[in-house]
Amino acid sequence: MRLELRDVRHVYALGTPFEVAALRGVSLGVEPGEILAIVGGTGSGKSTLIQHLNLLLEPTSGEVLVDGADARTLNRGELRRRVGLVFQFPEAALFAPTFAEDVAFAPRRMDLDEDEVESRVRDALRTLGAERLAQRSPFSLSGGERRRVAISGVLAMRPEVLVLDEPTAGLDPATREELLGVIRALRDGGGTVVFVSHELDEVAEVADRVCVLERGSIRASGKPAEVFYAEESAHAPATVRAALLLARCYPEVGRPVSFDETLATIRGVLEGSR
Amino acid sequence: MSCKNLTYSYPAADPTTVPPALDRVSFDVRAGEYVGVLGPNGGGKSTLVRLLNGLLRTDSGRVRVAGLDPAAQPFEVRERLGVLFQNPENGLVAPFVEDDVAFGLENLGVPRDRMRERVAQAIRAVGLAGYERREPHTLSGGEKQRVALAGLLAVEPEILVLDEPTSMLDAAGRREVLEHIHALKGDRTVLHVTHHLEEVLDADRVLVLNAGRLVADVAPERLISDADLLRENRLILPTTLRLALELGLSPAKLRTPEDLAAAVRGRTGKGTGVR
Repeated sequence: MRLELRDVRHVYALGTPFEVAALRGVSLGVEPGEILAIVGGTGSGKSTLIQHLNLLLEPTSGEVLVDGADARTLNRGELRRRVGLVFQFPEAALFAPTFAEDVAFAPRRMDLDEDEVESRVRDALRTLGAERLAQRSPFSLSGGERRRVAISGVLAMRPEVLVLDEPTAGLDPATREELLGVIRALRDGGGTVVFVSHELDEVAEVADRVCVLERGSIRASGKPAEVFYAEESAHAPATVRAALLLARCYPEVGRPVSFDETLATIRGVLEGSR
Repeated sequence: MSCKNLTYSYPAADPTTVPPALDRVSFDVRAGEYVGVLGPNGGGKSTLVRLLNGLLRTDSGRVRVAGLDPAAQPFEVRERLGVLFQNPENGLVAPFVEDDVAFGLENLGVPRDRMRERVAQAIRAVGLAGYERREPHTLSGGEKQRVALAGLLAVEPEILVLDEPTSMLDAAGRREVLEHIHALKGDRTVLHVTHHLEEVLDADRVLVLNAGRLVADVAPERLISDADLLRENRLILPTTLRLALELGLSPAKLRTPEDLAAAVRGRTGKGTGVR
């Protein structure tokens, strides 16, 4: 499924003295099978943008297209099942006595038979490495574990596009890495993932494409190397900042982005000088 | 601050099945020290913060803050120990920045003249001079967190406890908040809880809490060179340090990509001149 925002504007509290233009004409495609990272400072419009992908927010003007069709003509429930949205700190919305029941909440409302619900719950928990938590109470576990279960709840609807708002905020480093592994695995299994992040170092590791928002407009979008090497270095991941500095002395450094690429490049520099 | 055999369990239907959130934790923090607290989600970091300011009461063991028991004298302790929480949105209450910063002082009954002075001083200390009449909701995340920090500083606590103060901020907001937090080093006693190892590399010591136990109380240099300790506690070094270690460069003095690039140039003989 391909999603497209076409010249989307979104104004909160339109027509009141508190009017705020959160998106000012954003055009962006989400391609099937990619990991798209949305980055940008606080208040740049990231959360507003992603809530347009399943029409939780409707554009004040402009269009959201799903495989070329106007999203407003589609059944909303169906659209929100196909484009699964995970809010910031989704664990705040866990409510059932056990994790398994929490994850089953959405699929039960999709008219599936109980075997199918159970198999979806199992699959979703397994994808997040959370099977052993199925019978525990959400209140007995840590923030990282609750985060996994909350994401499983959306995955159990088997969305074609998974949209995550700051999925790694507040997690310990190892849990963060595991969650990035889950995002990669979903993409490798044919899914599409859109995620918002403040951590450029993690964006450098997983994103196929990056979109940089600033005050409601797209400042840059494209492959990570294109975007990060065109930004001011303060807005680039540590790998890119190191490579930019080294490239002044060693032109062979090129434009590495991921940790492994950067490590290999710098190794080359050190070995070449021997 | 001093904790001896500190143990705490959250209420549970069947306490035998749920391990304590903190289990016989002992450590001391001397006046003027800057101490980092690291560890995985669920390790007990936030529980420790709540015990230190008297929001929770220990099951067994002893906590003392400036010689006082926080559970018995919470108000006295909170004048001496201020907590900066993760989400600045939750703590800002007043219509204007200066009122918000004054809020804690109003509750302490500080005379008006003295209050004005301390508010102005605290606002300057976090680099927000000129923001006195701004409305908090018009500020960025980093600015809001600095307002919250100013509100703490105005009360002039001897001890500051920072509970993941940057985890809700963007990169620019994090840098500005850290700059003002690190400036407190040597001036106040600071306990800085974080998931970001790079934020406490310059601390005097770091405590590592895992599954309720204090598993390490070491200098940051020791922690970053102990691969087993890092792995067991779900800690991962920041990108720059990981690159340095993989390249066989000493991580001890490396903080930024600039330091890394300089070290590589030093190794290849292009260390001087070009930058």
